[in-house]
This record gives sequence, C-alpha cells and structure tokens, in this order.
Amino acid sequence: MNTLISENKVSEIASFNGIKIYRIQSRKFKTNSINIFFYDDLTRENAAKNAMLPAVLRRGCEGYPTIRDISLYLEELYGSVFDCGVTKKGEHQIIQFYIEYISNKYARSDIDLTKKTFDLLLDIITKPVLENNAFKKEYVEQEAQNLKELIESRVNDKMQYVIEKCLEEMCKDEPFGIYDYGNVEDLKEIDEKNLYEHYKYFLETLPVYVFISGDIDDEGVKYIADGLAKIKRGNIKPIAKTKVEVEVGEVKNITERVSVNQGKLCLGFRTNTPPGSKDYYKLLVYNSILGGGLHSKLFQNVREKAGLAYYAFSRLEKFKGLMVLSSGIEIKNKDKALEIIYEQLEEIKKGNISDYEYEASIKSIETGIKSLKDSQLQIVDFYLSQYIAQTNDTPDDVIENVKKVTKQDVVDISERIKLDTVYFLTSKE
Amino acid sequence: MAEKIEGRIQNHMNIRTIEYKNIDETVYIYEHSSGLKSFVVPKKGYSKKYATFATHYGSINNEFIVPGEKDAIRVPDGIAHFLEHKLFEQKDGSVMDKFSKLGSNPNAYTSFAQTVYLFSCTDRFKDNFQLLLDFVQNPFITEESVEKEKDIIAQEIRMYEDDPNWRVFFNLLDAFYVNNPVKIDIAGTVESISKINRDILYTCYNTFYHPSNMMILVVGDVEPEEVFKQIEDSIDTKSSKPEIKRIFPEEPKTINRDYVEQKLAVAMPMFQMGFKDNDFNSKGIECLKREIAIKLILEMIMGRSSSLYNELYNDGLINNSFDFDYTIEENYAYSAFGGESKDPLAVKKRVMDEIKKIQMSGLDKDSYERIKRAMKGRFMRQLNSVERISHMFISVYFREVSMFDYPDVYDNMTFDYVKGVFDSHFNLDNLAMSVINPV
Repeated sequence: MNTLISENKVSEIASFNGIKIYRIQSRKFKTNSINIFFYDDLTRENAAKNAMLPAVLRRGCEGYPTIRDISLYLEELYGSVFDCGVTKKGEHQIIQFYIEYISNKYARSDIDLTKKTFDLLLDIITKPVLENNAFKKEYVEQEAQNLKELIESRVNDKMQYVIEKCLEEMCKDEPFGIYDYGNVEDLKEIDEKNLYEHYKYFLETLPVYVFISGDIDDEGVKYIADGLAKIKRGNIKPIAKTKVEVEVGEVKNITERVSVNQGKLCLGFRTNTPPGSKDYYKLLVYNSILGGGLHSKLFQNVREKAGLAYYAFSRLEKFKGLMVLSSGIEIKNKDKALEIIYEQLEEIKKGNISDYEYEASIKSIETGIKSLKDSQLQIVDFYLSQYIAQTNDTPDDVIENVKKVTKQDVVDISERIKLDTVYFLTSKE
Repeated sequence: MAEKIEGRIQNHMNIRTIEYKNIDETVYIYEHSSGLKSFVVPKKGYSKKYATFATHYGSINNEFIVPGEKDAIRVPDGIAHFLEHKLFEQKDGSVMDKFSKLGSNPNAYTSFAQTVYLFSCTDRFKDNFQLLLDFVQNPFITEESVEKEKDIIAQEIRMYEDDPNWRVFFNLLDAFYVNNPVKIDIAGTVESISKINRDILYTCYNTFYHPSNMMILVVGDVEPEEVFKQIEDSIDTKSSKPEIKRIFPEEPKTINRDYVEQKLAVAMPMFQMGFKDNDFNSKGIECLKREIAIKLILEMIMGRSSSLYNELYNDGLINNSFDFDYTIEENYAYSAFGGESKDPLAVKKRVMDEIKKIQMSGLDKDSYERIKRAMKGRFMRQLNSVERISHMFISVYFREVSMFDYPDVYDNMTFDYVKGVFDSHFNLDNLAMSVINPV
C-alpha cells in the first residue's frame, strides 16, 4: 500500500471514433468501476428516446436476455453492480452505463473480473435483444409505461420537484426546459421500430466518454480499449454549446397548488456566467456566501435568526449558468421569507460580507472539492463535467482559483445575477 | 478463512488493535477511564476525515428512571431529536460557526436508538475534533433558544408530513406495533414538542450523555494514537458510571393491524410491507447472523434474480423503485419491502403465494450459495466510503458487535441456519402493509 496513486490525476488512454477513454488510478478503493457516457444535445426530438434506451437495454442482451439472467450473472461475479440512466448537464443529455466490481485482490478468484464485467457492460450496450430487426416489443412497451410513471412521480419528492419545475419554467422556451427523461407525450410516439432506428444513431454517432477507475492494470485497460474499438461508428455528431447568456424581462411569478402541509419557495436566477469564464469562480464564492452551507446568509438569516425554515439554501446549475434558491416554509410566511431573502441579495450587492462569511465560504468550497476524491463516482463526475463544459480544471485548479476571489469580485458578480422566476408550491385552499 | 489478528500498542494508554487481513482494515480501540469507548479506523490516502460522537439514546427512550431517583418519567415525544438540535448552541454562540470557520461540515442525526454528532473535514482535524469533543460535553440551553427551535423543528416535521417515502414507512411501523415507541415519529409532533422546556432537556442530557453511555469513532487518514491522546485529555472523568433504567412498554407478538392507508400528493400508489420479527432478543454476533440470514432470504425471494421480482416487473406491478431491507435493534426487528405499484394489494397476494410455495418446497440451495457470495462482495463496496463505514459501525456498535465481523458471518453461515430463520420470520400472520394512495 505504499504507492497510493493520486486520484487527482486523470490520464487520457486513447481517443478514436469519437470515443475518449480516461483512466483514474487509485489503490485506496476496494472496487473498480467502468463508466461509459454517451452524450447528446438536449432536444425535444431525442430526449424521451434517449431516456428509453438505457431502460430497454438493461432488460437484456445476447447471452443474458432478461433482467433475471443479467442479475444472476452479476451475482456470480461476486456481486458486481450494474446500473444505467440519464441526466442532463446544461443543454446536454448524458446517457450513462456503469459497472462496479470488487478488485481481484479481494475476490480471490481465478475469474478476471475486469474482463468479465466489461464484456457484460459492452454486450448490454451493443447487443440488445432483437425481434424482426427491431427491439423486443414487450420490453419497449413496458419501459415506456415505467418511464411515464417515473416522470409522473416527480411530484413525490417535493423539494427536488419544485427546484426542477422552477428551472424548467424559467427556461421553457430553451432546450434546458426539457426534463432529463423527456416528456409523457413524446413517449407515446415511441415503438420498438423507431426506437431501434434511434439506437443506431445513438450507438454510431454520439460522442462517448469512458472512465476506468480504481486499481485496473494495463492489460485490463488495453482490453477495455480494444473492446470499445470494435463498436461500429459513423460520423460523430458535433454537440452544440449550452447557451448561458439570456436577457431577463419582468420577474415571473408562478404558484402551483397541490395537497401539501408545507409551502416550498423557489427562486430561479440567471447568472449569465458560463463555466469556462474566469468569473465562474467568483460565482462559486458568491453562491457559497448566499446559500452554500451553515455559514451562509440564507441559513443564518432565514433559519437561525428568523426561525422560518428548517432548510434554506442556494445551488448552482453550472452548465446553464443558473442559480436556484430553495426553502420550505409555513405557507403564511411566504412574504416574510421573500423579504428576508431579498435583503440577503441586497447585502451582498452592498458589499456587506463579513470576513467570517467570506473565509468560511472559500474553505467550504475547498473542503467540498477535496472530498470528491474519496468517491470514484464523484471524481468521475467531476472530470466528465470538465469535459462537457469544455474546461480543463483539475480539483486543485478549482481550489487555487477560488482562493484568488476577493470580496470585491463577489460584489461585482452580484450585479450580473438576475432574478427570473419565483415559484411557490402551496396547498390547495 | 478468517484472518483476524488482535494486538496491542505498547504505551500507557493500552490501545488494542484488531487487524482484519482479508479486507485490509484495522480497528484501533481505546477505553477511557470514564467508560467511554473510542475507535479509529484508519483509511490511508483518503482526504476526508469523519469523526462521530454518539450516545446510546434515541427517539424510543421516552420513558426512563433518572439515576438516583425512584420513579420513572415520561418525556415528550421528539425530545432526543430536539436535544440534538440544541446541543449546537454554546455559551459563545453557535458551534456551527466555529466548524464553518475551519471549513468543515458539522452535522448530527437522531435515530430510534442513537443520537450521533459528527463532522467531516479535510484539514485541521485536531481543531475540528476538539470542537466536537467540547460541544457535545457542554450543553448551553436557554428558554429563549428552546422556543425559537420549536419553529425550526416544526418546519422539519411539516417537511416529513409531505414526504410519502417517510410516511409510508412510519405507517408500516404503526401497523406492526401496538405500544413500541419505535412507531412514533423521531421528531415527534408539533404538539408534543410544544411541551419541551429547558429543564426536561437537561434531565435527558444528564441521564444519557454520560461518557459511559457514549462512543467515539474516527474514520480517515489519521494517527490513532494522537486521536486517543486527545480523547484522554478532553473527556471529563465524571462521577461513577450511572445506571440508566430504560423502560419499554410490553409489546404483543402479534401485529397491530395488517393494513394502513393514507392519501398524499403522489402520482401513483406507494407501498411498504413486511414482517414483524419477534426474535430479536440477542446482542452480539447472533444479531448479525439473523440480519444477514434474513437479508439473504429476502434477496432469494424477491431480489432481481428471483422469479417473483421478474414476474411482478414483467406484469407491471412493480418498477425499478422496488427495494427491501431488514432492521434489527435492541427492542424491535422487522423486514420491509416496497416501492411504487399501480396495485399494491396484487403485489401482496403474489408475495404471500410465493412464501407459501417456499414453505412447501423449501429454499433453493444453489441460489443461497450464489447470493451469499454476491452479498459478501457487495459488503466490500461499503468499505470505500468513510461515511458508510461510520454509519454501519455505529448502528451495529450499540448491539455490541463490530461491522468488520460481517465477512466472517458470511463465511460461517450455514444453509440449515438460514432455513430455520426462514421458518421463524416469514410468518404470514405477522405480515403488515402500508399504502399511500394519490389524493
């Protein structure tokens, strides 16, 4: 255990056919993981179809044609874990396939788990169960129903739901307004034939990022690269950049009524600051001071001083340059909460930032970034985010740049942050 | 084969070590003269250092005899959680600010049987750790701050009232239990917390926060000897170890009711069901054995490789949200499984049919072997995360057992034992169901 390779470093192993392969070496974990990300423009036309793909592909592949067969095999491979799904990062839709397995050292077996698990992952992606030159009808119909239920069930998690709805309403005329999983109407148009046509487009033309992390030897890495090289690829689709700068008109006020006890207040802002700009680090500090933790103005004033809420925070959507502020309050206290929130925004504009708020904010970001390195998924997500945003920072770069931000920088950036939408989820009466 | 090597560090503090060779982990153990036990699990190469200070006191301890007194007292529901909130208040302001100045993240949680204070940091561990040791030992509670906290916690309670996952789970506990306080919401109700005052908070604190009722755990890239030295210097060697008498109401072996339903703003019905377990009167390794055996059986009956799961999934009766678990504590144990379904009662019928089938035909030995190996492999994943280790360690610690014994328990498990557990736990008379329907 004397050679602990820094997971701070990512090395590009190979790049071909629009597939980029990265390796993040570390010996501190008990498991290894392989992550394969396809990414596409987030569009109404493709969103639901892209969301359907992992759902259908995980149903089975050649050799393992049902969920049961795949699960049985994963169990044999010492409880390896497979999962897949979609997310959005700005106006990009990411389709992820992931497998994690225990390092050979702990499995103590003759089975080469790197090869076996990668083969399974690749087969799930490239050798789906087909019928009459299309996907299996039954799988597509069932997964369309599951996806419909998943989209409709968003409302179950009220805290998350109201944040997503606020940002979607804000951006309803832009690609970002599309939900990660598409929408229910578009699902109706999907059948086993057109989804299979879409699958070919997905497999042949979408750019791909692959991350191999943990303690995988050179031979294993080469095996993975060779396997990926066998995927038949066509002309790779150029992916558009997310549009960040948007003029804000009058503030939109939206109220949604459902059966709830607690009101959920959400404010959506445009920061007009793309992730690649130097100002992005100022924005990070601004957000931390405003609502990025226990030290923040929102926590201190909305919760600790006024006792209006249990939670009050702000969060950045880095890729689209959005900031969202969220709090759960007694319904009758909406105006009082808004007043305190607006006061906090004004305080930063006026430069009323205490040394404590400023220093704790910078340290909190530093701790957060350093902590990423303890999770394979988080470090992979960090680098994927860098590549999607076309920035090339390491975790240390981010820390270094954040430390250079001054209070005046925070005041300067505050002028650019514009309130766009106030969203309130409240009770029916 | 188990490879567990016990040892000692030669210094005045009498530090014990247990090295688990198979999984490359070592636990360092030090017992303070007050009776406080402390543990360090070093994780070389990790950035995060995760420290916890926990007391064996949670939401279920609402009736007890104060050491030195004769009569039992009944305290308001939600008080353990309330006290957890109030401990962050110190004479010179909120301790959260001091942690924030150091760039670390303090937090705390109250469960049924424990209250846990913690922080995670990447730098200045010693300073952060000192804050933790000091604030948990020095409550400063004023009437005024108690009143303000009621508003904040009321909003926390409201948040959970609207959370269908939380509600479906607590409604199931209510279906299982007639008297056991585990059925009461951890945070209490807006009404019950209104009765809390400074004096009752101190009574609870003085009863349950004696070092002998507590434990400390540090997971991360730290030097165990330094951590223990700091503990030795900072823990108050209080008067003799008080005897805490916890009072639990009698609980019948039968379930309270077999079905509970509530309406909330959800898109489709959500359900949790499970078996009330009466065989939990065991501490130590027996408790881990039973836990693993039941989790194994659940995986065999309704895991993704089971025929039941696949039939339910293919028939559109369950989706990806379906999951299952088993919980065993000092005074209660139960299995629970559920997710979203357009027809929860149809799922219940299928589950019952499957269990009856297995009662006739027996469990399958091949799946048992395969799933045992898989679960042991998946246990290894948990060791990647300092948070996961801390969480697991503490939850089994108060049952007087070490989480690092899990691999051993897997290795020593036998099919006959598992068959016996199946017969005792999966008793259809003890099956209860909770459903959340759309408004």
